[in-house]
Amino acid sequence: MKPLLNIVLLLLRGERRALLRGLALSITVLIMGVSLLGLSGWFITAAAAAGLAGIGVLFNVFAPSAMVRFLALGRTAARYGERLLTHDATLRVLSRLRIRMLQGYLVSPYRQLERLRANSFLNRVTADIDALDGVLLRLVLPGLAGVMVIFVTAIALWFLVDPTIALLVGLGYLVGPTLIFLIGQHIARPPSRQAEAAMQASRSRLIDLIAGREDLAVYGQLQATRDHVQSAQARHGAARQQLDRIERRTGVGLDLIGAGVTALALGQGIALVQAGTISAAQSAIGVFAALALAEAVAPVRRALSEIGRMIQAARHVLPALSGAEAEPDAEQTATARVSTLLLFDLTYRPGQGDRALFEPVTLSVGPGETVALTGPSGIGKSTVLLLAAGALSPSSGGVNWGGRDLQGYTPEALQQSVAMVPQRHALIAGTVAENLRLAAPEASDDDLWQALETTCLAATIRAKGGLEAKLGFRGAGLSGGEARRLVLARAVLRRPGLLLLDEPTEGLDDATAKQVMTGIRAALPEASILMAAHRPVEIEGADRSIALRGINS
Amino acid sequence: MPISTDPCGDSEPRREKIGIWLSLCAALIWPLQAAIIAWVLANLLTGEAAISAPLAAGGFMALAVLRAGIEAASQRFLSDSAEARVAALRAEILTVETRAATASQIGGAGALAALASEKLEALRPYMLRYRPARLRSTVMPLLLLAIAAWYSWAVALVFLLAGPLIPVFMALVGWAAKSASEKQMVEIGQLSDLLVDRLAALSDLRLIGAGAPVIDGFADASESLRVRTMAVLRIAFLSSTVLELFSALGVAMVAIWVGFTLLGELSWGAWGAQLTPFAGIYMLLLAPEFFQPLRDLAAAWHDKAAADAVLDEMDQWRDDERAARLGQGDRVAALATLPTVRLRDVCLHRGTRQICYPDIDIAPGDSLAITGPSGCGKTTLLRLLAGLEVPENGAVLLGDAPLSDDNADAWRAGIGWMPQAPHFLSRSLRHNIGFGAPLRPDLLQKAQLPGVIDALPKGDLTILGERGAGLSGGEARRVTLARALHRGPGILLADEPTADLDAQTADAIIDGLLEYAAAGGTLVVATHDPRLMEKAGKVLKLAAEEGAA
Repeated sequence: MKPLLNIVLLLLRGERRALLRGLALSITVLIMGVSLLGLSGWFITAAAAAGLAGIGVLFNVFAPSAMVRFLALGRTAARYGERLLTHDATLRVLSRLRIRMLQGYLVSPYRQLERLRANSFLNRVTADIDALDGVLLRLVLPGLAGVMVIFVTAIALWFLVDPTIALLVGLGYLVGPTLIFLIGQHIARPPSRQAEAAMQASRSRLIDLIAGREDLAVYGQLQATRDHVQSAQARHGAARQQLDRIERRTGVGLDLIGAGVTALALGQGIALVQAGTISAAQSAIGVFAALALAEAVAPVRRALSEIGRMIQAARHVLPALSGAEAEPDAEQTATARVSTLLLFDLTYRPGQGDRALFEPVTLSVGPGETVALTGPSGIGKSTVLLLAAGALSPSSGGVNWGGRDLQGYTPEALQQSVAMVPQRHALIAGTVAENLRLAAPEASDDDLWQALETTCLAATIRAKGGLEAKLGFRGAGLSGGEARRLVLARAVLRRPGLLLLDEPTEGLDDATAKQVMTGIRAALPEASILMAAHRPVEIEGADRSIALRGINS
Repeated sequence: MPISTDPCGDSEPRREKIGIWLSLCAALIWPLQAAIIAWVLANLLTGEAAISAPLAAGGFMALAVLRAGIEAASQRFLSDSAEARVAALRAEILTVETRAATASQIGGAGALAALASEKLEALRPYMLRYRPARLRSTVMPLLLLAIAAWYSWAVALVFLLAGPLIPVFMALVGWAAKSASEKQMVEIGQLSDLLVDRLAALSDLRLIGAGAPVIDGFADASESLRVRTMAVLRIAFLSSTVLELFSALGVAMVAIWVGFTLLGELSWGAWGAQLTPFAGIYMLLLAPEFFQPLRDLAAAWHDKAAADAVLDEMDQWRDDERAARLGQGDRVAALATLPTVRLRDVCLHRGTRQICYPDIDIAPGDSLAITGPSGCGKTTLLRLLAGLEVPENGAVLLGDAPLSDDNADAWRAGIGWMPQAPHFLSRSLRHNIGFGAPLRPDLLQKAQLPGVIDALPKGDLTILGERGAGLSGGEARRVTLARALHRGPGILLADEPTADLDAQTADAIIDGLLEYAAAGGTLVVATHDPRLMEKAGKVLKLAAEEGAA
């Protein structure tokens, strides 16, 4: 429940004014609905009484009939305004929440980000945030508006009809649905959690089955995987049925509360009229108001069916948001444009094994210098680059850039002078220009062409239709070597002081590889370049090469 | 061999029918409850009959209990039948996708998983709300119209005029909403595709400081989605506003007419005699109920649209003619002795291209390297040997018996399989290697995996990303080698096992493969790597593609 409260506060903070107006309108809608029915009931009963008494001519018909029409039209208009206002405000708040979530992920540790399954994160950004739209629209606003309207109606009944009827209607509608809500949400939480978990499981298991079905068939695991999916689906069905049952029962409970309050208002009305305390028309107000208030508590049912999902979504979303707010301890120091990279006694112990990946390494890369890191794959060359980029923290030893330890910089400051090109081609769907400008949003077309020249790609891109040529998802449409050169060109565009390259010429033939490496050096004459290399053409082009040695081998 | 599935049982439509009719029965009780209220209030005015407060309130309550009970029973029948329907559709998808040898036209694993999980859920509200609302909206208004006409033609006229206009407006507004919401659906689909694309690259984009532009791009897309969604909502709200307007005006007109008539100001509209107070109050209580089923139907209209879209997608998925794979893919005992595999006159099409293979015999203990230019059918040959592909002409023989449904699983039980791009299950690394069997340290050592496992955050219990994120290309290759070795001795089919690897890692993989062959295993490798070809016993060079057929 607590995460949900935190989310509510967060949501309210964003669009307070629009939401307050929305709340005011929701209350107006409900009050007008109750008044419409109550007034109509009173009007007809009073008119009948006057007609029976033969004093119909003296009865002021115009005020009530005008009032009835005003309420009918006003309620409809208020409803439309309220819906637009609250939905727009909610969508705005949620959109902001999504962006903050993405920002939160952006500052999370590299390893965590790398392991993130794009689909499951997307699920969080879309499904979880969508589940939160009900928090305001179907929980908080209807809840507040309902309570207010029941109060207002009870007060009106107190003066217009009779205190006993006011108490019956007010207390009946406040206590009953509140109890149902509190008990119901408690009971609905476990099955709702189970349903959600089972849904996620059946989804990812089905993805495994379909994407891996050939491997699974060869390994004789297809039927077992199928059973695995089926069991998740069955669990989901069972939890869903339990939720349906709870929803059905709360529905019956709410219906009976409405009917019970109306029956009590009717019975008490009869008694009071027979005792001569109130008129028949006044008793009609009580009965009709009791009937109309059922609308104010109806949202409880819907809210109950969603609250389990909302609480879970709030649990998922909140931690992702906290990252965005945390201020780093380091001061915002601008980094040196040109400097020397120093690694001293650097080691890294990944995971649970307390064994370091490689023997402590010490090296320096001065401005204009190119150093190649060699060693068998898996020894940790990429890890050294990530340590030098500040994406990972060393287990011992340190990394020094611009005369101070990397820990002293904020990620933003560091990114201004350090760029790293990892092995995977981080290309996205969009034009060539869009992909390049990810690194340098301000770059002109000329800059882009120049960068492409540097990596021998200009002619190829021109043949493909220039900077506006479209790439598919993950940069589809380029060969491995072209993609490689495009991400290198992008790194050059950032004009970094420290350039970290992970097997930069993979997929290029020797002649092109040599040309690309020369081009990069020519474009960035003062940069310190450290690269993980295993091809002779890369190692020969470097000023020095340093072999990374594994522990105990 | 197209895949067929059983049609679902016929008890489900019956349960649904019962649920729908029960929901109508529940709605029929309200006119009785309303009559009690009207009778009480009218008699309080006229004092004609003595009223017992407990009896009147009790009667009203008893009817309410009856109504709630029937309503709950109806919901129960509907919920059961919805669950059965959704479960049947899920089972259908699962069965077909398990058997299918080819991908569906509607999309990849993600799209199908979304269809089978979230999207099918849209059928529930449709079956729970829309179907019963449709029956109520055809019966209840007519019934209430008849009751109204019994007492007053004027009220009946109000109902008659306001009622039918509602569906007309609804149709108009619904039509506009449909095109707007289709546009919105397209945009939502594009937004999620874009997002997945960018998120997958996020960790690497951050290394060149491109995190902020990615977020800005996302913010723009998100804002445009909000604008689009509001456009849809505006129309949707307009349609419900139109309904509410008619219903509110209808109620107000009835109230005013009844009031004036009871006062004696109006003398038309009732049948001859004066309108009784009972009839007047009764009319007022029935008026909102006349419009309620139509409003329920309108509220459920969205559910119908969503369900229709999902059912359309299901149909589209069913329309695919999907070939079935040989065998069940089940775990069975391996063939007693490993047979000689023979290819005889095998030809098949890859797109428009025809590939024909020479006749090949692979005896137990052979090690064979298949080479040739890319596109010549190296991978397809391995797939033929594993029974993942069925030749159009000729046959793959195990000894003398053709590879078929009956022997495919037993044949595969002896195969170790190293595809080029493996899919890692979203389960532990341990499960990805042994599929539940305990891991053997000696085999892990042969694949040089212990160091890799130690480096993972939770060792062999680490859950990997889809494409093996968290492992380098060489490490992922070693995982597939370890997986193949855990199959035990038999035949190992490896597709380009050393591509994109540095020399040291490639050597390690080659050593692992050769050790397997030396221990008596049969080895078939598709490769470009000269070192691997040199060490294989036999080399089969496939010719370049044979022209289009």
